[in-house]
This record gives sequence, C-alpha cells and structure tokens, in this order.
Amino acid sequence: MKYLIYQLDPTTGFLDRNGCLHMATELIARSRETGRPLAALWLDLDRFKQINESFGYLVGDNVIALISQRLKEKLNNRAEIGRVGADEFVCLVPNLDLGQSEQMALELMRIIEPELDLGGVRIRPTASIGIALFEPDDDAFGLLERADRAKIAAKKQGGNRFVVSGTEPVPGRLGIMLVREELEVEHQLHTALENGGLQLHYQPIIAMNGEIQAVEALMRCTAKGESISPAKFIPVAEKTGLIVRLGEWSLLQGARHARHMSDAGMPTKTAINVSRSQLVDPKFSQALNAALICANVSPALIELELTESLFMDISDTVQNNLRAARELGICLAIDDFGTGYSCLANLKDIPATKLKLDRAFVTVLPHDRRAMAVVKAMAQLGKELGMTVVAEGAETQAQVDALIEAGVDCIQGYFYAKPMDDIRLLSWFKERNQS
Amino acid sequence: MNSVADSSRIPELLESTLRDIGIPPRPVILDRISAEMRKEDPNFKQLALVIGSDVGLAAGLISLANSPYFGFRGRVRSVNEALMMLGLNVTSRAIAGLVFRQTFPVTPLLIRFWDSSASIARLSGWLAQHLKNTNIRAEDAYTFGLFRDCGIAVLIKRYAEYPAILKKANEESQLPFTAVEETAYPTNHAVVGCLLAQGWWLPEEICLAIRHHHEYPPSGQQNAAARNMIAIAQVAEHLFQQHTGLCETREWEKASKFCLDQLGLDPESLFQLYESSAEIATTEE
Repeated sequence: MKYLIYQLDPTTGFLDRNGCLHMATELIARSRETGRPLAALWLDLDRFKQINESFGYLVGDNVIALISQRLKEKLNNRAEIGRVGADEFVCLVPNLDLGQSEQMALELMRIIEPELDLGGVRIRPTASIGIALFEPDDDAFGLLERADRAKIAAKKQGGNRFVVSGTEPVPGRLGIMLVREELEVEHQLHTALENGGLQLHYQPIIAMNGEIQAVEALMRCTAKGESISPAKFIPVAEKTGLIVRLGEWSLLQGARHARHMSDAGMPTKTAINVSRSQLVDPKFSQALNAALICANVSPALIELELTESLFMDISDTVQNNLRAARELGICLAIDDFGTGYSCLANLKDIPATKLKLDRAFVTVLPHDRRAMAVVKAMAQLGKELGMTVVAEGAETQAQVDALIEAGVDCIQGYFYAKPMDDIRLLSWFKERNQS
Repeated sequence: MNSVADSSRIPELLESTLRDIGIPPRPVILDRISAEMRKEDPNFKQLALVIGSDVGLAAGLISLANSPYFGFRGRVRSVNEALMMLGLNVTSRAIAGLVFRQTFPVTPLLIRFWDSSASIARLSGWLAQHLKNTNIRAEDAYTFGLFRDCGIAVLIKRYAEYPAILKKANEESQLPFTAVEETAYPTNHAVVGCLLAQGWWLPEEICLAIRHHHEYPPSGQQNAAARNMIAIAQVAEHLFQQHTGLCETREWEKASKFCLDQLGLDPESLFQLYESSAEIATTEE
C-alpha cells in the first residue's frame, strides 16, 4: 500500500496533527484487514512549559528539535511519528502487542533521557507516555483520544512513566480516583453497604480461670453472595474514605451486640476494632458517643482495639480521642503488639489496659524457645504495667500450655472457638455454661 | 463474672431487648424487599402480602403513592398497586421511613416533627425532578429528606431536656445548629443520624449528606451528590416554611447562599418555586 502525501511539521519533519489523524485512519484500516495489532503511544515532555518560561521559546524550540532528532535516529522508521502539540508526539506502531508497546514506551523514555545542555544549564528530559492499543470499536480519533487520556493519567501520577489506556485511574462513585480493579471492589463494597452485606462475627477471649473475658468483633463482607476478603476491600475502603463508614458501622453494631448480651443475662465486653482513619478525625468521639446513645449500652461493656498502623504517628488528635474514650469508661487494647510499628515506647503514650500479642509469636510455640522467651518477657512487662495480656492465634493444646507457662492472662484462638455470628455465639455461651 | 443465664429464656430475653433498645435494627421486612429486589423476577404479590400484614405500613405506602409528588393522585387503592407504581426502590426506602417512625412514642412534638420530615422529603423528591443538573435521583432526595433529621428523634427519646436545646439551636442565628447541641451533649443529631442511616444500609452519599447537613458548605469529602442533596433538602425546608408559615428556625439565613449557589438558583427562580411547589407542600399524607 502506498502512503498518501501528508502534511509535515516544519520544526521536526514529523507528521503534523492532521497528518497524524490521517495516518492513524490508514493504519487502522490496515489493521482491520490483517487482524494485526496497532499501538498508539502518546508522549508528552515533562516540565516543558517551565523550560519555555525559564529559557525562552528559542531554547524550547531547540529542545524539541534535539529530541525529535533522537527519536528519528533511534526509532529508524519503526514508527510513524507525529507532532501533535508544542511538546507532544504520537508514535503509531503497527504489529505491536501490549507487552511490546510497554517495552517501546520504556525505550522512548531511554531515548529522550540523556542530558541536554541549554547554554550552560543541564537538564535531563523526561516524558509521560500514554499507550492505547487499537480496539475494534476505535476510529482514529477514538484511538488517539484514549492514548491522550492515558498520557494525562501518567502526568497526574507525577510524570516520567507510562500508563496503558484502560488502567488509568478514573473517578469512583465518591469522586476518588481509582484504577480498574479498585473500581470493581468499590462497586462491591457499595453493594454490600446497601444490601446488608456487612456482618460482625465474634470470637471469645478466654481468661485462665475459664471465664470469658470478652468477645472480639470481626467484620465479614459479602456482595451478591460472594465473600470479599479484607485484604481486598480494606485498601480500597481506605482510599475512598469508606473505611470510616465500615468502622462506624462496627461501632454501632458492636455496641448493640454488647447490649443484647447484657440483656440476655450474659454481660460480656465486646471488643471493636477501630481504624487509624477514624482516630485521626477530631470528631471521632462524637461518633463513639452516638453509637453508645443509639445502643443505650454501658461504656464499661465496650472495648476498642487499636490497630497496629495507628502507631505510625500518634498525634495530639489521636491522644485526645483515646483519652476521651477512657474518660467514658471504655477500655483500650493494643492489637498485634510486638510487630510492625508497635513498640515499647507506645506503651507509655497510650492509655491502654490490654495488650494483644501478635499471633506470629504464638504460631511458632511451643518449639521456638526464643519466641517463648519473648512472650514471657512481654507477659511480665504487661503485668508490671497493670495490663491484661492476651495471646492471639492459639490453635493447639501444646500452644495453650506454653502460653499458660509463659504467664499470659487470656487466650484467643481456634483452640477455644472460631469467630461466630451472634446466634451461634449465644448457643456457644449456653453450652459452655451448661458444661 | 455473672454470665450464667437460664438458657431457656434466651430467645425471650432477646426479644424484649430488641423492644427496649428502641432504636431498632433494620426491620426484617426491608431485608425481604431487598432479597426480592435482587431477584430477576421479583414476586410483587408475595411482597404485597408481607407489607399488607402491617396495616400502618400498608396505609402509609398507599397514601405516599397517591401524593401529588408521584403524579398519580387518588388512583392507587391497594398495596399491590402502590408497589407497582413506586417500584421496589422507593417502596423499600419509604417503608424504612415509616417503620422508623413507628418505633418512637407518639408525642405532639414528635408528630409535628415526623409530619414536617415527610413534607420536606416529598418536596425534596419533587425538587430533584424539577431542577436541572442536580443529578440526584428523586428517590434519593426523598430518602435524604426523610432521614436527614432522624437523629433528633433519637435524642428526644434519650434526653428529657433535649427539646429545650432544640429550641435554642433553632433560634441561633450565628453558630451552626450542631454547635449548639454540642454545648449540651457529647455528640449531635447529624452524627447520630448518620450512624443510624449506616445501620439501615442507606447509600454512602446519603449517610455523608446526613452527617454534614448543617455545614454550609459541607466539610469532609467534596462529594457533589451529598452537597446537592443537602442544598435540595434545605430549599425544600424553606419552601415548606414559606407555605405553612411554620418558621421556627433561622437555618435559611445561614444556608441560603450556599444552597442557591449550589443549585444555580437566583431569587427570581426561587420565587417561581414558591408558586409551583404550593400543592406538594401543603398536601397532608
């Protein structure tokens, strides 16, 4: 097939904007005929505006000329190149699949990155690149537009990178930018939130004398009959702000549960997990009080479990919120203690009454003597501080024996009970009381 | 620890607990409607039977379907027809509102409160249809109007002296409404209402709007849907007060600029709304 004569850009010798559209139309027609792929890579130089403003337009034009020279030499007719804006180029490349397009985007970034000398000042040019692969519905305009949008996404992520069309973030339902998989999870979360897809399950925490010291409320999330794992929905919930709703929903449901248990003649503390996002809000205490008012429950029956990520930075706001909870008579527990960000220094800053040792220490018992020594030391430390020490994740008799020997106060784990819904929890209590 | 209970009494105890708490968990009937809505071919007859077994609900639903806001005045005679007319979505939300109301004692203050909530909800639904570019579904505006102030009912029930604080908050011309509540309580009706709405599985946009509905402009997430709902309901309240002469609040003085800007209204178009909303505003449910 013979190319028509297209109009060229005088500075670079590449196709101009119109020429580029025509070329795309022609290549698309060929792709349709042959069934071979076609890629459009939209390249936008980062910070070009600043270069123009700082050094003047002549220098700017010079930069464009130098970079287009590099592109011409290195690509060596492998792509049809167009200049579609002051600092924007489009490469149309037939027979390029997704993997090869990504390789080419990296190659383009390498081609333009060598330093340029602008009259004594050296700069290292970088670019944002958007990749779109021809799809059956595309016309030339549609294909280029998708590449452009992907390029804008690359720019928004800070530049010096490429983004493939279809994976660029778009605003989710609450206006937060999300990528495709995140959008799907966000949709599932909203479906769960509007159709009763959240549920609390409760796992008993057993004291050494056999009493039930508390139950920990754990969230389950299902949408359209499918359960969604926390590893999947928590990051999206954090990004979209829905984490606060999940947390507050737990507060209210957990508080109601505590009231139900108490009215059923089995007053038991319900331990509710609160996230960092809730506690960094100066108005956390209002939500906590609202939950207590709605459930009409005594604060003494509520315990808040503080997740480990809280300890990245314990601000005044967090301290105030925790103090306010303590003043209400609510107990605080430090969860997953001994790993990640939680450290001994936190023990003096947080008015907690309970220390929950991370399951990582428990699962290696009883054989790991070093872990045993650490658990013993932490149990001793907890006692000195007047805190209740709980070990999580106990599954075997041998682990329980080791934990008793180490001196912990309470044990939580499958060995005693799995997390259960409220109805099964009631019958579990019932059976236990009978025996 | 006193955890030994007579096991045979557990169901009975639970039953009475649900009654005592007063702030109900979402009623089973709503779960049955949700379950039906998820089916490809919902069984309207079965649902009509379930709803019809509660006379109060049935009557409330029929009168809602006959309100001028839905434009089919006087034609709906049965629960089944009401269901067909309103659709499952609106039915589910309307029943939520009705059940919620039923759980509170009948006092003159609360009756007035529920009646004005119902009118504001209807007007909000009408405004969502009537105004251009709000991008709010009428059923969402309606639901928001219905639940916007549900926290007030809870606080009235919980605190004997709350009505006095409510009066003070209504008369306050400078401070935000919720700030007046916070001088007396560790929370406010917007936060309480938001938590309740979450527990009743309302959409996140509505929950956010409930939480921030006394902030002009609303803080927190810049959610366009929530902002529009807040503005619509506030205009609806203003229209209601204009038509009924029941103007006990100074909220419009604080909110009007935000609301008119948000909805792209000018004094002239607001004046036109006074006229066109007359019928909706003064209808009794």
